Amino acid sequence: MGFLRTYNAVIVLIAINGVLAYSMYAVLIAGQLSLAQAAFASIAAYTSALLTIEAGLPFPVVVVIGVSAGAVTALVLGLPILRLRGVFLAIATLGFGEMVRIVALNLEVTGGAQGLRPIPKVVTIWQAYLALALCAWFFWRLRPTRLGLGLAALRADEVAARAMGVDTVRYKLFAFTVSGAMAGLSGVLFSHFTRFIAPGQFGFERAVDALLYAVVGGTAHWVGPFLGAGFLTFLPELQRQLGIEAGWLRPFLNGLILLGVILFVPAGLSGLGRRLGLARRPRPAASAAPARAATPTPTPGSVESVTEAVTQPTDPGVDRRPDTLVRLVGVEKDYGGVRALAEVGLDIRAGEILGLIGPNGAGKTTLVNAITGLTPVTGGSVEVLGTPIRGLPANRVNALGVGRTFQQVKLFDDLTVRENAIVGGHRVTRPTFLRRLVFLPAAARDDRDNAARADRVLARVGLLDRADAPASSLAYGDRRRLEIARALCGQPRLLVLDEPAAGMNHVEAQRLGALVGAIAAEGVTVLLIEHNVRLVMSVCTRVVVLDFGRVIADGDPDEVARHPEVLRAYLGQAAT
Amino acid sequence: MQQVANGVFLGSIYALFAMGYTLVFGVLDLLNLAHSAVFMLGAFIGLQLVVAAGWPLWAAVLGAIAAGGLLGVLIDRVAFAPLRRRADAHFAGLISSIALAIILGAVALGVFGPNSRRFPQGTFPGGRVEFAGASLSVLQLVILVLSVALMLGLDWLVRSSRLGRAMRAVAENPRAARLLGVDVERVTLITFALSSALGAAAGTMFALAFNLIRIEMGLAIELKGLAVIIVGGMGSLPGAMLGGLVLGLAEVFSIARIGSGWRDAVAFGLLFAILLLRPQGLLGRKAVREV
Repeated sequence: MGFLRTYNAVIVLIAINGVLAYSMYAVLIAGQLSLAQAAFASIAAYTSALLTIEAGLPFPVVVVIGVSAGAVTALVLGLPILRLRGVFLAIATLGFGEMVRIVALNLEVTGGAQGLRPIPKVVTIWQAYLALALCAWFFWRLRPTRLGLGLAALRADEVAARAMGVDTVRYKLFAFTVSGAMAGLSGVLFSHFTRFIAPGQFGFERAVDALLYAVVGGTAHWVGPFLGAGFLTFLPELQRQLGIEAGWLRPFLNGLILLGVILFVPAGLSGLGRRLGLARRPRPAASAAPARAATPTPTPGSVESVTEAVTQPTDPGVDRRPDTLVRLVGVEKDYGGVRALAEVGLDIRAGEILGLIGPNGAGKTTLVNAITGLTPVTGGSVEVLGTPIRGLPANRVNALGVGRTFQQVKLFDDLTVRENAIVGGHRVTRPTFLRRLVFLPAAARDDRDNAARADRVLARVGLLDRADAPASSLAYGDRRRLEIARALCGQPRLLVLDEPAAGMNHVEAQRLGALVGAIAAEGVTVLLIEHNVRLVMSVCTRVVVLDFGRVIADGDPDEVARHPEVLRAYLGQAAT
Repeated sequence: MQQVANGVFLGSIYALFAMGYTLVFGVLDLLNLAHSAVFMLGAFIGLQLVVAAGWPLWAAVLGAIAAGGLLGVLIDRVAFAPLRRRADAHFAGLISSIALAIILGAVALGVFGPNSRRFPQGTFPGGRVEFAGASLSVLQLVILVLSVALMLGLDWLVRSSRLGRAMRAVAENPRAARLLGVDVERVTLITFALSSALGAAAGTMFALAFNLIRIEMGLAIELKGLAVIIVGGMGSLPGAMLGGLVLGLAEVFSIARIGSGWRDAVAFGLLFAILLLRPQGLLGRKAVREV
């Protein structure tokens, strides 16, 4: 116990800084950068200190209020900003941090530059570590859940995450609010441990400290923030012992460490640990998949009846099986002077495999983005499954039952192959985080079921043996197939494939054609955009040709192949 | 009227500083958070050239600008170039540039010490100019003219020169620009150098105008620069000029109204209001980046 007493301050500070590190971790795992962690901590520190000094409230009550203050502040700040690109959050939070410091300097109740003292010292070593453990527990439970994987997907590729049905704005808001709450917690602990707070303690340097702890610790594993805070809180102590303590040395070292880690070890200390086999990533149901074979599996071969989607409760109950899945009327899209789509009228009927072809720049991808809600159109109307999608974000369009792949493969590279597929099932799965937080077995079962379902789809495209590999390690053709599997996991009613055969050889393309046929045979409507005309002609039931943003032909494959306009578009004027 | 003159003067320095941010953001789609460190170092280098090396003021200003250009090269090479091929280059670039800013700040602290510095007396001429009821010192007037000239020069460069055309091509689509024979690496490097040269210029001018040089001056200007580019529109050069003007005037008038303690809060107020009402900024276009 002598050790605990001698180093009591450092040991408690490690926990307090660790909590602050977790608050940064909360936003980093969503791929966001916040520089307001110190500001949230400051708001909570002042609020709680004043409540303790002036109102004499008991400490637990003060903690709750302080944490809420941090969370609410983050929520209010995040609401208008998280809709925008990530860089705006960095800027706005940087500004907010400065703003809070100025307010604390200028108000009377905060004691201005003199600060606030004395605050009763009530935080014990055990309380500090209890708080730290709570934060760690939160993230330990989070990762394998639907929410945790959704956040990881958002961080890896925001556009793809949205197309898989992840409500990215809400997810970011969640992450940011959690980060505000945890920063608040660290602020309360700090003020009730050091007995004195002043605006200077919560300035830009403190915000950078939070970043430093979280980045050095690494986001690869939930233990990271604790490692980072531990190491960096102890470092100055070590310097003191060694007697190397110039005023500029500490920031210099901090900057150097931060730069080195972000450039060369982006996974941080916890990532290093994993590389050395010290920490295993929680693998959702890696081995549980076969064990759950008792769940009603559809006939072998078809692997998973994709039409099951129709009976899912998440479906909008407007029109059970409309004949027309997508209706475009007079759709126009302008890109500052360039007309990508001009008065496109198009119906996609249930059960068909519609091929969409056209020369480069004909507007095919723009059309796909208009249907999937990624690009708002400038004119006309787009109706998907009976719902007009004007102004609807991509995740809502996905929720209607639209799955897609991308012309340039957009996988979640730092997730495993299986996790990619699980995220694809976002639309048809239930949230599990809150239940897993309290160890309800049903939630873990749900996650296992989702993994099992993902495995069945992976088996179907022939990727099951790579399920635990990171998606980034896949070869090009496998990446394309994983994208299709990911979209299929959402059990879509309409599957949009944007040039799935690009870069594939003849044999691979043929196999792809067979897969598309099999998917359609299960009742999934397919929109296939391709340059490989032979593939389109062989699998599609109807073909639409786009040229310069206009539909120039529409009919069954043979008819279209003979259409004079099509020949002209593809072969030039002379061919007519 | 005097207020307006002061506001315009202040705004011109803010704008000059913010041009550096917006140039890198507009061309390379990167936010360089080490820009504020260049501002601070520019001021110190200008001072050292006068005090320690005994250069005349005009040469010291030019020297600081040149040193700023070199710092820009350093920033690109150290903080951004290693990330070029990484999927998280944007995100990691924010962090690596913060890290480099901290390192540069620490170096400045080590070399120049924590105390604030001043130019020796008589470095610049006195005298005032009266114009339409406002009074500016000769120095202020020179700074104002120089800032505006630098900004217009940059704007002309980007709009009309061959280099500017290459920059705009890179801004539109780096991959296509490379295919068309633009040396993207070189354009990137030049963009950083130009941006930092402007940052250092703004730093020396700010130091001259207020005759106060401190390590913390970088941090203080950072928020203002970011507010300026948000107000004007991210990546828009005319927007940065307009934004600087708006911020300069807003600050001067609010100091008169609510006291100088709140002066630095004005920038955040403006920034947040614009993010709420018009996130693309006054002169910015809505993002048209596609998948």
